[in-house]
Amino acid sequence: MASADIRGILTAFNPSQDFFAITAGDGRVKIWDTLKGQLWTEFADFALTRSTTLLDKSINGHLALDYTCINWFSFERKRKRKHASSLLLLGTGGGDLLALDVAAGQLSWRITDCHPGGVRTTASSANGSIIYTAGADGMVCVIDLMIGNLLEKFKASTKAVSCMCVSPDGKTLATAAAQLKIFNCSNHKKIQKFSGHPGSVRCMVFTEDGKYILSSAVGERYVAIWRIDGAKKQSASCVLAMEHPAVFLDSRCIDSGEHDEAGICVLAISEAGSCYLWFGNNVEELRNAKPTKVSLSLEDMSPRNFKGALPAIYAAKLQGTQKPTSGQVFLVYGLLVKPSFRKILVHSGSDIKMSVSHDGVLLPTSQSLVKSKKGINAQTVTTLDRANAEDALLPIPKVFDSHGKEKAFQKSLDKNVIDDLHSTRKADFIDIEDDMAQSEIDVICMEDRLRSLRMLSSESEYASNIELCSMLLKGIDLEATVPAKKIREAVLSIESSEAFQLLQVLLATWKSRSCSGKYILPWIYSILVNHGHNVTAQQYVEDTLDSLDKITKFRGATLQPLLQLSGRLQLVASQIDKASQTISHSANDIQTEESEDEDEDQYYHEEEDDASEISTGDES
Amino acid sequence: MISGGKNYVSSAPAFSNDGKRLLVCSGSTVSVFSTATGSLVSSLEGHSAPVTALVVCPASSSLLTYCWTASVDCTIRHWDFSVPECLKTLDLRFPVFSMVVPSLLSPREETDAKKRHDVFAYVSLQNDNANAKENCPKPSCGQIRKCNLTNFHAVSSLILKETERPESLTVSPSGKFLGIKDKRKLHIWKILKVDSNSAVSKKITLHHSKTITVLTFHPMERIVAAGDVTGRILIWRGFGAKKFLHSAGLVNGRSTNDEEDKPGVRENDDAESCSTWHWHSSGVRLLSFSSDGAYLYSGGKEGVLVLWQLDTGKKKFLPRIGSPLLYFVDSPDPSLSSISCADNQIHILKMPSLEIVRSISGIKPPLSHQDICEGFCSRAAFDYTSGLVAVQTQNYGIQFYSLFANRGLYEVQVCERNHQPVDEVTVVVSLVELSVDGSIMGTVEVKLPEDGFGGLVCLKFWDLDDNKRFSVSTHIYEPHRDAHISAVAFHPTRRMAVSSSYGGDFKIWVCKEEIQQKGQMLQNSGWMCHAVGSYKNKAMRAAAFSADGSVLAVAADTVITLWDPNNNVLVAVIGETPMPITSLAFVGKSDYLLSVCHNSKPQLSVWSMSKLTASWSYKHLQIEAVSCAIDLSYFAVLALLPDCIKGKLQGDGIILLFNVTDPIAVASWSVTKAIGGGLAFLKGDPSEPSQTLLTYINGDREYIIFHPFGKEAFELSTRRQDDLVFEETGQFGYTSIYGELPKLDLKRNLASSISSTASERPWETIFSGSSHMLPPLTKLCSEFLESLLEKRTPTVE
Repeated sequence: MASADIRGILTAFNPSQDFFAITAGDGRVKIWDTLKGQLWTEFADFALTRSTTLLDKSINGHLALDYTCINWFSFERKRKRKHASSLLLLGTGGGDLLALDVAAGQLSWRITDCHPGGVRTTASSANGSIIYTAGADGMVCVIDLMIGNLLEKFKASTKAVSCMCVSPDGKTLATAAAQLKIFNCSNHKKIQKFSGHPGSVRCMVFTEDGKYILSSAVGERYVAIWRIDGAKKQSASCVLAMEHPAVFLDSRCIDSGEHDEAGICVLAISEAGSCYLWFGNNVEELRNAKPTKVSLSLEDMSPRNFKGALPAIYAAKLQGTQKPTSGQVFLVYGLLVKPSFRKILVHSGSDIKMSVSHDGVLLPTSQSLVKSKKGINAQTVTTLDRANAEDALLPIPKVFDSHGKEKAFQKSLDKNVIDDLHSTRKADFIDIEDDMAQSEIDVICMEDRLRSLRMLSSESEYASNIELCSMLLKGIDLEATVPAKKIREAVLSIESSEAFQLLQVLLATWKSRSCSGKYILPWIYSILVNHGHNVTAQQYVEDTLDSLDKITKFRGATLQPLLQLSGRLQLVASQIDKASQTISHSANDIQTEESEDEDEDQYYHEEEDDASEISTGDES
Repeated sequence: MISGGKNYVSSAPAFSNDGKRLLVCSGSTVSVFSTATGSLVSSLEGHSAPVTALVVCPASSSLLTYCWTASVDCTIRHWDFSVPECLKTLDLRFPVFSMVVPSLLSPREETDAKKRHDVFAYVSLQNDNANAKENCPKPSCGQIRKCNLTNFHAVSSLILKETERPESLTVSPSGKFLGIKDKRKLHIWKILKVDSNSAVSKKITLHHSKTITVLTFHPMERIVAAGDVTGRILIWRGFGAKKFLHSAGLVNGRSTNDEEDKPGVRENDDAESCSTWHWHSSGVRLLSFSSDGAYLYSGGKEGVLVLWQLDTGKKKFLPRIGSPLLYFVDSPDPSLSSISCADNQIHILKMPSLEIVRSISGIKPPLSHQDICEGFCSRAAFDYTSGLVAVQTQNYGIQFYSLFANRGLYEVQVCERNHQPVDEVTVVVSLVELSVDGSIMGTVEVKLPEDGFGGLVCLKFWDLDDNKRFSVSTHIYEPHRDAHISAVAFHPTRRMAVSSSYGGDFKIWVCKEEIQQKGQMLQNSGWMCHAVGSYKNKAMRAAAFSADGSVLAVAADTVITLWDPNNNVLVAVIGETPMPITSLAFVGKSDYLLSVCHNSKPQLSVWSMSKLTASWSYKHLQIEAVSCAIDLSYFAVLALLPDCIKGKLQGDGIILLFNVTDPIAVASWSVTKAIGGGLAFLKGDPSEPSQTLLTYINGDREYIIFHPFGKEAFELSTRRQDDLVFEETGQFGYTSIYGELPKLDLKRNLASSISSTASERPWETIFSGSSHMLPPLTKLCSEFLESLLEKRTPTVE
């Protein structure tokens, strides 16, 4: 499989990462807007505002300059993240240094013949006010970034310096030819020296904590990690292998509370345009870590179609590591004419294949975008109108059933309800099918349904019931024990029709358990006894009596097992108590439970009476 | 702290002397843009209130980069905008609404003599104090005065003119005349060559039958043009011939007295002739002569720039700008000029061809017709992960604006129809909602009924495509029949959404990909209705998914119904509040729910989901917006300050940050323009993604991002930034503002009709419900015993 080659491509992000500069050897610098994913501006020809001197070469056309390094620095003036206060620094093969103010779209300053033989690398100090440049002459220049004045110059190497970086704390500067050298930034004294790279180093970066340097040289298929504080240890402390030589390196520290030494995440982009990530809690772990690879799927891309220009990953930036094994990576990938920008989350161990969009060859303008969108939309947009917006997958809302999960013991009872719901629902559906014109379906309201099935009484109904009660009972409190005589008196004083209304209300209250049966049952009993002879004259009375019958039967049926249960419970309880507690305690318990038992018995008798009364009432 | 979203078109911009920079008044700062790239280069910060006027000092050398600015904060400042730094500050003690410096414009014949003259500015002030003292029946708070900029002591006591409100001043390009419009009149002063604080200028007045909206002076000749509200353009030629020239003793050969007929000139106005042009259908907003004086530019609400040939009256047009035009500014570079549009855009034009080369565009302003369709205006939607805000635009679209980068990313057109600023509004995008991860958008558009007929509601779901742009995936016409949609909410993890309607039902929508169980991936990822629910046919005004997506809360009038969204099961009902609930939000990962009601009894309530009761609530707190941190138990509310305490705090709103368990606010900030504002928690910017930031966007869509928990917020209290004043009101004590904390313990109020609650102890609820539906005892017994035995097993052993 053919693989891309991104060696000649120079890239840089701006400090806030919303712009991206890329140049591919033709002297044109393209600035992409990473948020919009569009080309923002292009620098091809620099019109110099300064008067031309003899030293200035005439620059005509974009092929005049060959860039060797690119970097985007910010002044960091007021801790304001404005891209306005940043400069794009370009080094040329001719030894010139150019600073572009990208926001203003013009050349800010220029140093000609800064490094005879070519500028190779640039680096910015920690506070951003000065920059370091190095080149083929082995010198390092210290330059004021804002105005472009050469402040200092010192010799770093006898050979051409190929790479340079500044530690995060800004105190040390690392330069590399084939040999790595660490300098003190303030007095430019050499601190340390590492040798081991056979060729010139292509990329180098400090780790975030400043303890290690990562580097990779031309033609090497690995990333070397050098420990800085280590005494006179000359060899690399760790080597990370790759399939192709690296062109770009980045690293981040992973915050992990339990380790003194923060974990490290290393990112490398190879010549072939794929991205490698290593995660490790320390350098030892990193050595054994297997790289996680992010690459582009090239199956459907034949090199012929793109005249040799294959999609690749051009740049990447580690944006953060939330967990020890994953990192947020901001990737620039795709074709050179139209790179894509995407943030992805890479988990350690899971390789990622990215698909490449095919629409990169022509630059989309906003006009054509709209058109193409329309064309696609015609096929993919779903449209629902009033009719098909209605048919839901789960048309029937249900009421949460807290017992359902435990056992299906209520099934037999609930079934009735649900069946009823189903049947009515079905009826509705049939209605609709029959009458297509009537498209208005009533929204299913659980409440209404239940009410229509007379399983619920509405609040208003309930309130009126209470009202009626109090009216009929002439202020006698329902929720209090009233002597039987008084009940009888009250019941006799009201008319039979009203009495039956009261009966219904009482029944409803009993049913809904808003009032204890203990108080209601005497009233019901009394009404039935005193107005029993008028039963037939009343409307709906049969329904009422039926339900009364039903309720009493249910209650009656439950009573026996409840008693059994109570007995068994006593047994169990007493046994348990016996095992754990003193005898005196258990004796007390038994006594109290016996008294409860008596209560139950009384209750039971009353109900029996009721039942018999009802049966007589029915017969009459 | 990041602020942005400023209005770039509040007053006219100005070009630098080399034409490479454009200075724009943006809130309390002046932004300097590059005309070559249209991007921000630097900004002048120092004013504490909106900047109203901007005058660049002209100079023959392009290297001089000085300018004067005037602001409502009562100061005039002098800047070097290339550095940028403030050189001088003058305190006028009156808010300045307009300023011109004519002497800068006048040609300097005698350079050495010029230096002796002081530079005088004419300012339009608002004088509130005078009014309060005099208590005169006719309020005239606008005053035009002089101000010595070189040798400043105080504003000149000489008042040139008093107007009802501060009027904007117009100066002729030659610096000889100064004019203002005052209803149906134009007042023009001749500026003295050698000015002083007490020198009185001569004044003439020109009359017209309609209210004048704008005026401009010819660069060379004595010609003034004015536009009126009906769209007419009047051109007076040779104004002030009698008064200005006679007295100055500069009467040239042909006396104006010869021609006594003054065509078109009203009454005894001092002008030689007046002609009228009429093309605009509504008020003229923009009027400017070209620098050579041969052409006149005009523009208005139509968004068409008209180029009139002054001698013949022939017209040329630059149509389809798409928004009402506000200002036209010429640059010293003859090939550049700029027009400002009402949609917060400044277009830089290439001159002879009138071609738009660059656009400087800010956040789209809130809809101007909002008063027409009150209740349909959508709030800004925020993308938590990428820090975007989605706001609706005039042309029926949604603008995606990056809060961190402070620039617009792109716009999508919600309904495909052409927008003309003069057209009547027929379609309103009434709701915009983004999912938590920002991958799905839901929009609701309402076609307004014409004569009560033909209204249409359309719900649209949008998916993010490869280019990180939203494209529509599903249209749903009339999703709730005729009822309007009150809210749209997205499931936090799945592709599921809920829409609730005023018609009393809600619908859960799922993407078809969800239904297709992995097997065959459908290319067509449309949405369809998953479930329908309603509660007592009550109007549903709000809906929200819990953080894990297992519970859906829908506000049914005054109660909150909780549903299992997957099975469409009503789980519980909690309530109730005194007024219908208009907003619901789950507080992060905690099991608390937030509800807000408005109208006569506004209330903010926090409900505990574990107990299904109200945890605490604030009464009489008019909540404008709420936002909950995704992974914290904090939430922030934007409350409007009641009238009674408006004077005590600056601004009209307050942001309160609460911990959900504690009814005492953790922090508070007072803000301005809170009505129509929004609030959101955002994930930190790329450099520090682990942070949670709070953003506030005000009614004018200016926004500010800050750390709600960090120290920085407290430092801000001393620093006045923009018009958003931050103060830590911890010591204010909540009691001083709202009286004793109304720590209400609303009684557990389960709707009596629904007899179901999730409970740990089944035997307590097992008997609730109708008595003839009791479970068989055999089942019950084992259950009961089991639970009993489990508890005591250790003791048995």
